[in-house]
Amino acid sequence: MWNNNKENSDHTCMNRCLTRKTSETQSSWKSLSSLFKKDCRMMVSGKFFLVALGSLLLYTLFIHFGYLNFMGDNANIYNVYLYDPAEIYTQTSPLIHSVASAKELDEALARDTSGGVGIHIKDGKPDIVLYAGTEKVDRHRADYALSLLHSTSGYQPETVGSNTPEMKQRREITCELLFIEIVAVGFLGIASVLFKEKQMGVIRVHAIMPFSKSLFVFSKVLLFLLTDLIFAALMTLFNVGLKEAAGILPAVLIQTGILSLIMALTGFGCTMLLKDFKQFSLAYLVIALFTATPVFLSANTAIKMDWIYYHPFYHVYMGLKNAFFSMPVTNPVYYISAVCVIILLFGIATTAFHKEMGKEG
Amino acid sequence: MIEVRNLTFSYGKDKQALHGLNFTVKDGEIFGFLGPNGSGKSTTQKILTGILKGHGGEALLFGKDLREVHTQEFFQKIGVLFEFPYLYANLSALDNLHYFSSFYPKEQLRDAEEVLEELEFKKDFFKKPVSSYSKGMRQRVSMARALISNPKLLFLDEPTSGLDPTGAVLFRRIIEKERQKGTTVFVTTHNMLDADLLCDRVAFISNGNIVALDTPGNLKEQNSNHSIAVCYLYQGRRKKQTMKAPELKSGIPFPYDKLLSIHSQEPTLEDIFIQYAGRRLS
Repeated sequence: MWNNNKENSDHTCMNRCLTRKTSETQSSWKSLSSLFKKDCRMMVSGKFFLVALGSLLLYTLFIHFGYLNFMGDNANIYNVYLYDPAEIYTQTSPLIHSVASAKELDEALARDTSGGVGIHIKDGKPDIVLYAGTEKVDRHRADYALSLLHSTSGYQPETVGSNTPEMKQRREITCELLFIEIVAVGFLGIASVLFKEKQMGVIRVHAIMPFSKSLFVFSKVLLFLLTDLIFAALMTLFNVGLKEAAGILPAVLIQTGILSLIMALTGFGCTMLLKDFKQFSLAYLVIALFTATPVFLSANTAIKMDWIYYHPFYHVYMGLKNAFFSMPVTNPVYYISAVCVIILLFGIATTAFHKEMGKEG
Repeated sequence: MIEVRNLTFSYGKDKQALHGLNFTVKDGEIFGFLGPNGSGKSTTQKILTGILKGHGGEALLFGKDLREVHTQEFFQKIGVLFEFPYLYANLSALDNLHYFSSFYPKEQLRDAEEVLEELEFKKDFFKKPVSSYSKGMRQRVSMARALISNPKLLFLDEPTSGLDPTGAVLFRRIIEKERQKGTTVFVTTHNMLDADLLCDRVAFISNGNIVALDTPGNLKEQNSNHSIAVCYLYQGRRKKQTMKAPELKSGIPFPYDKLLSIHSQEPTLEDIFIQYAGRRLS
């Protein structure tokens, strides 16, 4: 009898707990939907979507009518340096610069700012030497260099690897502009929306609203993530082409997602911790100058920075670039690190949000 | 409803804001917390509403320790009017109310338009953006936001700030109506008229300490010198005499031609506050 009563009471308790959990989940979804709708309205009133659409059009026009026209002719002009100690290759293209030593080859590559390629003949076989940052994505340069080495064998450099020089350039510039858009425009976008809410004081009101406060952060980040993903998809489709984009889009979206989450959460944290948009602009300059610039220089030019491997944005940028060249990152350490960074940033953003809610008016 | 014992709070090592507050607020009571800027009244309200964490001492709300009650269920039971009318300026009054009320269960909500009408908010402005509102209109929308969820416990920070005298009278009437419904009201203010007219009991807070706590009537009586000022005309000249109240027991004790006015010399709450705290309220 006693056992029966105990079982019944356990059952009732479990049912009550389940009902409470279900209702809390429903309430969380309802709250998230309210926050999300409000964030959308804030972004519409702040003309953020209009700016994003304008950027998309501007970038697309630039790529189609500017970049490809101006850069197209130079697509396959790279300096190629050859170090062939045994002098095996005698009938090479006149475009090849021969060097006398491995050291000279290294120095020539370090000096070259136009993306030079080195060929080191080891044991009779050509070994391509590229600046480390571009190794994975620059099959085109490697193929171009080899074509010059085999200039008498009818090697055609018009289509190298799986890319034509134009396609290579399309992918490269689309990747760079997408990176700029997410790092700069998206980062500023979240700040402009949040600073408005901060100035209006409404963030403090959310402190006494019956929902989990992390939903406020989550909703904002989700909205920026979705916007960035749509932007990335359209940018890739418009500029790389439907057929080619289909193959690379999943990998590009994954990398865009990682970058977007990192930038949105960093922007959120900075907005909460900094006093006003002026201070934020300074922080933004620091981020743009000291964070993004070395990554661009290192990944796209021959400037060597040994410490760049410790720069987190370098890996994210290279991840995006490799995705554009159908070579997605497969190293699990990269993804685990990205998830850890995102979780850490989310924690910092939520803490900063709680701090802001408790501030005086 | 609220029980506070030895409540302390510090913003940093040398910034002790509250030095052991003790008070209780009964169900259905309007309790006033009076003090000048920086005295600790907003800090106390923030602790009680769960915005500030890390307090010392004990605070019980709805019979439960404050550290345990800051759940969604707790926030559903309280309504807060902030010192400033924090609203989304690009949204209308109705949109603001619909947005903030969307976090509460539907069954406990009041109709947004009905609440705004009760607050005598101009109907033409229901759908206009808040950026076009006057300060008083914003305060009305903020009050509507605090009331829309039918809270059991209402925290009001400077409720009549930014309102014209008619608006202030209306707000006091609405607060009284809430109390009649059974809502407990915790008013934080440095407006002694609000405190005098609204509150069942008031606590004076100065430098993080409660220096006095009683009904406004008792405080005034205890601190009164029971004197009366009489203005009169005598032999064509206007005169004024102050005397103790018992002296009037058998009528005016001096010759006069015409009585002009009789004034009680009862102190205001502000006078009493100065007596206790040694500084003014505002």
